Amino acid sequence: MKLNRLIKYSYPAFVYLFLYFPILIIVVFSFNDTSRSLVWKGFTTQWYTELFRDTNLLSVTGHSLIIGVLAATIATAIGTIAAVSLFRYRFWGKKLLHGLLFVMIVTPEIVMGIALLLLYSSLDLPLGFWSLLLAHITLCIPFVTITVYSRITTLDKAIFEAARDLGATDFTIFSKIIIPLLSPSIIAGWLLSFTLSLDDVITSYFVSGPSFSILPLKVYAMVRLGIKPEINALCTLLLILTLLIIISAQFALYKNSGKKHAKK
Amino acid sequence: MLKNKLAKKFLGLSLLCFSFGFLSPVVLAQANILNVYVWTAYLPQDVVKQFRKETGIRVNISEYDSNETMYAKIKASPDAGYDIIFPSNYFIHRMRKQNMLHIIDKDKLPNLQYINRDLLRKPFDPNNEFSIPYLCSITGIVINTDYLDNKNITSWQDLWQERFRDKLLVLDDMREVFSIALLTLGYSINDTNPDHIKEAYLKLKTLLPNVKIFNSDVEQNIYIDEDAIVGMGWNGDINLSLAENPKLKFIYPKEGFVMSIDCLAITKNAPHLENAYKFINFLMRPDIAKKISEEIGYPSPNLAAIKLLPKDMQNNPLLNPSSELLKRGQLQDATDEVLPLYEKYWEKLKIGE
Repeated sequence: MKLNRLIKYSYPAFVYLFLYFPILIIVVFSFNDTSRSLVWKGFTTQWYTELFRDTNLLSVTGHSLIIGVLAATIATAIGTIAAVSLFRYRFWGKKLLHGLLFVMIVTPEIVMGIALLLLYSSLDLPLGFWSLLLAHITLCIPFVTITVYSRITTLDKAIFEAARDLGATDFTIFSKIIIPLLSPSIIAGWLLSFTLSLDDVITSYFVSGPSFSILPLKVYAMVRLGIKPEINALCTLLLILTLLIIISAQFALYKNSGKKHAKK
Repeated sequence: MLKNKLAKKFLGLSLLCFSFGFLSPVVLAQANILNVYVWTAYLPQDVVKQFRKETGIRVNISEYDSNETMYAKIKASPDAGYDIIFPSNYFIHRMRKQNMLHIIDKDKLPNLQYINRDLLRKPFDPNNEFSIPYLCSITGIVINTDYLDNKNITSWQDLWQERFRDKLLVLDDMREVFSIALLTLGYSINDTNPDHIKEAYLKLKTLLPNVKIFNSDVEQNIYIDEDAIVGMGWNGDINLSLAENPKLKFIYPKEGFVMSIDCLAITKNAPHLENAYKFINFLMRPDIAKKISEEIGYPSPNLAAIKLLPKDMQNNPLLNPSSELLKRGQLQDATDEVLPLYEKYWEKLKIGE
């Protein structure tokens, strides 16, 4: 009996330890009072002050956040519409389109990067903000579509028929029924896209240009040539930001579902 | 109807693409900017800020972690807009041969007069038509004097001593490692004779029992934290590490050593040529070159800059190697034809065969 309980609690504990311990180390080391050593030498907040003095690193982070938010938002919009139309409408090539989404997900990023680079150079699109944004949107769309689609298939089709019976237009059905029902998966899709965009190195390497450099490329280059503690500080702040976003999303969802239950 | 819609969409999309393509070059041409592609943490921010203050030119910095990364990027998109790059000597050679670099007009660089003549006109760019030395790095022996006596260590051969069993840090860099074996055998680091390379491999095999770790990413941390107390290292890294661990000592081996000159070069299709010249000339100004050498920790090729350094730094052989020392340095060529052979032996070494 006792052994059972021990396993019951220690197993998840190990899982969480495995998941979160590396992140915890970054947070701890962002306060380490040494610039090159990997041994604990004392507490300092110096790296946070230096981070805010490092205009280059900050502007690169800003670029990444802008691209991340824009790409996630646009990809979520396109991806959601795609998922809804795949579910509700019948059109020529639907199966193929659905299959192609999965192909996009399993396509190695390097193929995507080179393909986009070739496309851009044949269109004479200079490498910079737009090339990156388009690439990241392309990267994110299939993930959003599949997240949303997997939720939409759990919906009862009778709801839409009932709505139509009561005289709702397609647009009303979309905005008043489908979107609210899908909101958890839409938010999940957005967050997934945001993360994908924020840490994409390979595709970004090919499609980024000199005028608009982004964080993942910079971090990658820094890590190869010795990590600066500033990066630990930056990662800690990004971690807090992500946590805040997720908590507020959860909170919004919780409030929403709370309201519904109250109405019932 | 459907076709019509599709056609409209397509038209819209192409209009979109067209407008991006049309607008962006206009914006690019108007702005007074310069695009620099540089090794991570190899160009101090203060220097860039000062350049902007003095000239009004905004510098866009992108960073890379290896010559290969930079080369692939420039090769894949030659029109990406990078103006200035920082290839090491053997990459200058390669890029020059592949017509990827712009011929430098030296009349536009009056500060070139300050550059050490010992470092100009090297075989990788005989007339310095394409490259200007930026900083030099040298591979030598590092030893922690707290743990080990450095009296009998003057040459690469000394790393084979019995007392270093399982203690060495060896750089995870094929050419660097083969170079130490070739040098102890009395060959040039650019020797292409397969027999000599095989001899070097056999020599390295006898070094393996002494090797504790292969690493070139966080070599500084390992020496500072004393996870390794003797081995190979780069002078600039060790110079900066001294602040955190003063027990480290850097030795220039007497057989000779690998020297690498990281250069400034202008890409073939650089869109902001005038600004690029201004920037290169600015980086060669003695007070600026001094600041760079001080902050990055590597020796400057700029003689006037060295004279501006504080006395103790001038006397520091890590930051200011004498010209006799520099003469012992050997530059790597791009010995492409024997690389497969190197790689074969390197793999064997790594798996301990």
